[in-house]
Amino acid sequence: MNKKMIVSLLALMFLLVSTALCFAEGPNGNKRKGKYTYRKVYKACAARGEVDSKKPHISPSDKTMAQWERIFDTRDFSEFKCGQEWGALTDEETQDIYAYLYGYAADSPSPATCK
Amino acid sequence: MKPIFFASLLAVPLLLAGLTGCAAVQNLRGEAALETPPTWQFHSIVDVEFVMDHTGMPMPENVMLIDARPYKPKYVNGHIPGAVTIPHSQFDKHVDLLPTDKETLLIYYCGGPTCKLSHKSAKKAEKLGYTNVRVFTGGFPGWKQVPGNYVSVSVDHVARALEKNDTVIVDARPKKTKFDKGHIPSAQSIPFTYFKAFSGKLPRDLDTPLIFYCGGLTCKLSHKSAKAAIAMGYTHVKVFSKGYPEWKKIHGASPVVAMKAGEMEGSMDIELFKETLAQRPESILVVDVRDKDEFDMGSFRNSVHISVEELEEKIKDLPQEKPVVFVCSTGARSGEAYYMVQDLRPSLKNIYYLEAACTFKKDGSFEIKKTEG
Repeated sequence: MNKKMIVSLLALMFLLVSTALCFAEGPNGNKRKGKYTYRKVYKACAARGEVDSKKPHISPSDKTMAQWERIFDTRDFSEFKCGQEWGALTDEETQDIYAYLYGYAADSPSPATCK
Repeated sequence: MKPIFFASLLAVPLLLAGLTGCAAVQNLRGEAALETPPTWQFHSIVDVEFVMDHTGMPMPENVMLIDARPYKPKYVNGHIPGAVTIPHSQFDKHVDLLPTDKETLLIYYCGGPTCKLSHKSAKKAEKLGYTNVRVFTGGFPGWKQVPGNYVSVSVDHVARALEKNDTVIVDARPKKTKFDKGHIPSAQSIPFTYFKAFSGKLPRDLDTPLIFYCGGLTCKLSHKSAKAAIAMGYTHVKVFSKGYPEWKKIHGASPVVAMKAGEMEGSMDIELFKETLAQRPESILVVDVRDKDEFDMGSFRNSVHISVEELEEKIKDLPQEKPVVFVCSTGARSGEAYYMVQDLRPSLKNIYYLEAACTFKKDGSFEIKKTEG
């Protein structure tokens, strides 16, 4: 009886841990590449004259992971401005940017500084 | 009377000239005229079979195959394997390159049947006392026409191919004992011994240009690999016959480091980075892409500073002769630098970044830790 209980408890723990890990995984993109692509978007946008600065006006730490998740789930990129450049991004590039923003979100283990 | 006299005087040479011209045309059209060798032609002519029978890699000791065409752009971009370059225009300057034994078989060639350079050089060589001189009139075009023949290229051609990023460079030497100790940047290691097993590393497109190299003029491995690649159907196969010794002489002994990738795309293995810094720091260029104030607080010895904001302007100055490793404090800016190079100067192949957390102390010591996620 005791043996059965231990096995069941272990199985339950395994299930809980794996579920938690699945949800904690976050986006699949390449955050290093995403950082470069994100900055490139604003450089092109500034050169076109839509924004004043080539530095992105939204930093990853301006939002929480949940907020970034919502934005990329709904694909509502309006507050980013520079629609022309965002529209030209491939799905892979968008995922890379998502990984970057999510990875350095305000409540992430390593929130972005100004660097 | 006088005008008629002068007119007759003029008419006679004109008539003679016309008749001579007609005769000349007839001669040119006649078979006898075609068989008569032009006066500029050297007396001993050989065909491609003769060249193939008497030359090889390495070149036999009593034979010298000489390309009489200009070094640039002709010889550099393609010549018969084993040929030395003595452009006809430089003959007198480079007499010292000819063998001391006057009985050596000298085979001159240039750009085909209408090219006079090889004939002129052959005549000059004979005047110097060489007794066994031939001209291969088919020249470089005649060599290339033979199925299965490939050409050799010079170090300048290899460097340009690297810059253009349109060619796969293949190192045919053994991996552990040779390739890992130094190779041409971006070269793939496919040792000839394992050619069949590793031929899957070659590109699928059979029209992709390939350049094979090994340990220099006495090394046969690249030539054997080239023949094997041609047999597989590759159409643009070349050999850099002077191989790695020549590359090292011109472009330096780099990279000494056999780069080992880290877990993330473009990242360098952390342990290898530490080991390289400790044992062979000169074999890589470490570029610290943090801000100047951070760099001034401490960095890796021998590192140079180019902040990630300044990198775009200075990207053209990055060397291609040795691996470049970008570093910062977390991997974020160095990763950005890596992708910037991939985007703006994709021909630069030896680029890496350190996916790690680096902290520096004032005494010059540092700590490198693997970053999480």
